[in-house]
Amino acid sequence: MLMSGTIIYDSSGNPQYISSTAIDITERKEAEKKLKEAKAELEGRSYQLEATNKELEAFSYSVSHDLRAPLRHINGYVDLLNKKYRDELPEKAQHYLDTVTGASQKMGTLIDDLLQYSRTGRRELKRSEVDMNMLVREVIDEFKTDSENRKINWNIHKLPTVYADNTLFRQIWANLLGNAVKYTRKKEVAKIVVGCKEDINEHIFSVSDNGAGFDMKYVHKLFGVFQRLHPETEFEGTGIGLANVQRIVNKHQGRVWAEAEQEKGAIFYFTIPKFKEEKL
Amino acid sequence: MSNLKSILLVEDNPQDRELTLEGLSEYKIVNSIITVNDGVEALEYLQYEGKFKNREKDNPAVILLDIKMPRMDGIEVLEAIRKDDKLKTIPVVMLTSSREEPDLKKCYELGVNAYVVKPVDFTEFHEAVKHTTVFWAIINEKPPS
Repeated sequence: MLMSGTIIYDSSGNPQYISSTAIDITERKEAEKKLKEAKAELEGRSYQLEATNKELEAFSYSVSHDLRAPLRHINGYVDLLNKKYRDELPEKAQHYLDTVTGASQKMGTLIDDLLQYSRTGRRELKRSEVDMNMLVREVIDEFKTDSENRKINWNIHKLPTVYADNTLFRQIWANLLGNAVKYTRKKEVAKIVVGCKEDINEHIFSVSDNGAGFDMKYVHKLFGVFQRLHPETEFEGTGIGLANVQRIVNKHQGRVWAEAEQEKGAIFYFTIPKFKEEKL
Repeated sequence: MSNLKSILLVEDNPQDRELTLEGLSEYKIVNSIITVNDGVEALEYLQYEGKFKNREKDNPAVILLDIKMPRMDGIEVLEAIRKDDKLKTIPVVMLTSSREEPDLKKCYELGVNAYVVKPVDFTEFHEAVKHTTVFWAIINEKPPS
């Protein structure tokens, strides 16, 4: 119960009577208690999150230092062995050495990819206005030297400016467009279309190609770390690219998904919420 | 160039030491490399203490400093060097296993002269060590003593 009283005076200032009210505040107390509990829980959770983040950071730091060093030693000593004694070794031994080299280089790439992935996760977004037309053009220019001997038919629609982390969005485009270039390699003429639709709340970007595609049965694995839907002998890669794309898109409160048909092509979509001024 | 300047290599890992020296074996400078095992030993060397009490008085032309080491790490050594009036002008190059943003920032704030990530690939590692050492130990002029 909450009680409160007020003395009521007459016009000459003499107390006349006391007005009092009594309110049943059981519900309010209950609500206050719940609010307090929720707040404590939230604080606990954010503390836990912070602790997890710190652990992750320590983990990736130790991965980068502690795993890279022995790997460098394997590489170094195999290389020395190759340089100094290769000629004295039988062919089979040379083949073993080459296998060790190949495997350790692969492990190096995997470690670097994993670190990059973990750094992306920890990075605080630095948002600014990003002109997607420009960004896409810059990324495509970077592919041009690698795909000089290929016929690629680029069709880039007009794209909007978004409010996003420029460095991370460059990674998105580099991954999606890079995949489109890679998986159309066996087609005589590659067709890659970059488009964008919008609704009230978000921009929906898409990258489609006429490449190898994939079986929709495995679509749930597509964005997993080190998950691949094609053998490495056919298309190179570690399987970190799309995991990175998903991480970046999610960090921007967007969604990402894909549709494909084997040997016909794939289409990747991602969204980014519009910033407030745009919605008006 | 006949007067070889000395290089202090601070590296706790024997494999890294061997590979670094191997990478420099084709150069004369390999003979003027002094290796110590960790940060504590590095400071003893630089400040003429412990087993280095009676060594010739001369600052190295460059210090190649690993970051992750037992006892005293490379960043702590760098900090101590920059605080010491007799040592603060010595060029220091961090030689480290990975490019970690906080380390990179800290080292430059403390006035490091270069920060080199040891590549996993040995040929690249070899090149990196060679270029770094040749530049700092041969091409670059030491600060006046």
